[in-house]
Amino acid sequence: MNISKYIIPVLVLSTMFGGYFLRHAFTQPTTSAIFESSQSGGNLEDNLTLTCKVQGVKCKGTANFFTKLYTDIAGISTLETVASDHKAVFTYNPKVISPDDIRAIMEKPIRLNNGSTKQIFTCLEMK
Amino acid sequence: MKIRYLRWSLLTVVVGALTWMALGNGERSFEAYCPFGGIESLYGLFREGQFTCALGPLNLSMLVAILVLTLLAKKAFCSWVCPIGFLGELLSKIGIKIVPGKFQISESVNRWFKLLRYISLAAVLFFTYRTGELILRGYDPFYAIFSGMGHGTLGNVTILVMSLIAIGSLVIPMFFCRYLCPLGAALDPFSKLGLIKICRNEETCIECGECQTACPHGLAPQDTIFLRDSDCTNCLECVEACPEEETLNLKLKL
Repeated sequence: MNISKYIIPVLVLSTMFGGYFLRHAFTQPTTSAIFESSQSGGNLEDNLTLTCKVQGVKCKGTANFFTKLYTDIAGISTLETVASDHKAVFTYNPKVISPDDIRAIMEKPIRLNNGSTKQIFTCLEMK
Repeated sequence: MKIRYLRWSLLTVVVGALTWMALGNGERSFEAYCPFGGIESLYGLFREGQFTCALGPLNLSMLVAILVLTLLAKKAFCSWVCPIGFLGELLSKIGIKIVPGKFQISESVNRWFKLLRYISLAAVLFFTYRTGELILRGYDPFYAIFSGMGHGTLGNVTILVMSLIAIGSLVIPMFFCRYLCPLGAALDPFSKLGLIKICRNEETCIECGECQTACPHGLAPQDTIFLRDSDCTNCLECVEACPEEETLNLKLKL
């Protein structure tokens, strides 16, 4: 039995709208990247916690990239970057590094593939 | 109503909506609607329970929708929804007018070249799964076009790749879809199983070859009873081009 050719657009539209409404079935999990330094300066009991709300941290990739900025920085003991909350939680030694230094590292312009530089992350809030 | 006008109208709406989103309107990025993003997310989701950068639930649900559509109507997504397929089709129509002579590619070369899209699929998935980022999206026409060359951040290599794809599309119809599209490669096995196929009535067919000329992918419905080729997108150009009534039709066939 022949089928009307209009079945194709009907199927296309039904499945596309179906796919759109199905999106709620796939919730976005929390994404985070964690870094623990093996060479933090000073005693651990001297460490403080700094929480930054960071514009630009929006997914696993950017959370990983953000975390890597601090892997070789003395004074940073741990860093957890939570993409879903757009925040980074630092444990740092205030005798080695200050919150302003931490902020300056994330806001430093980064060299892109095309040779230009661009500021990727912006600290919106620190506490 | 000519089915092509209906199809092009739908594609124009899709391109318009994506452009509107690309200009910063709407609550989501245009990339959120790309079903290939669903494939790129799979490894991260299964391994780490996380979506790959810039991707989200809508990419996955669109992928599910397209798999269902492909199992029903072959690669109808490619000719009825995909903006890159639409641009490829428009470029090939322009190419027919401006490129002197007709560039013919032999069937055996065509078959070998089609393997490139599997290499493209493997490369994209390998690098995406390895890095957790859409590391090759700078070479993706969908991203490059709708993001305005990555909001101006993409380099000369991207411009070169896009130019080669555009020139290829002018010379060989549906160049990107045929030889480079990773989504097309991923849909191939599902398209083979597609239930709704073009069917040729042997008794009324005059074997004029108009259907093959009209097919954007150069398929030959006149050589078969049921067109099972995974490249068939059910665009229905062959059905409209056929001069004989009730010769090419759609039928359900396993």
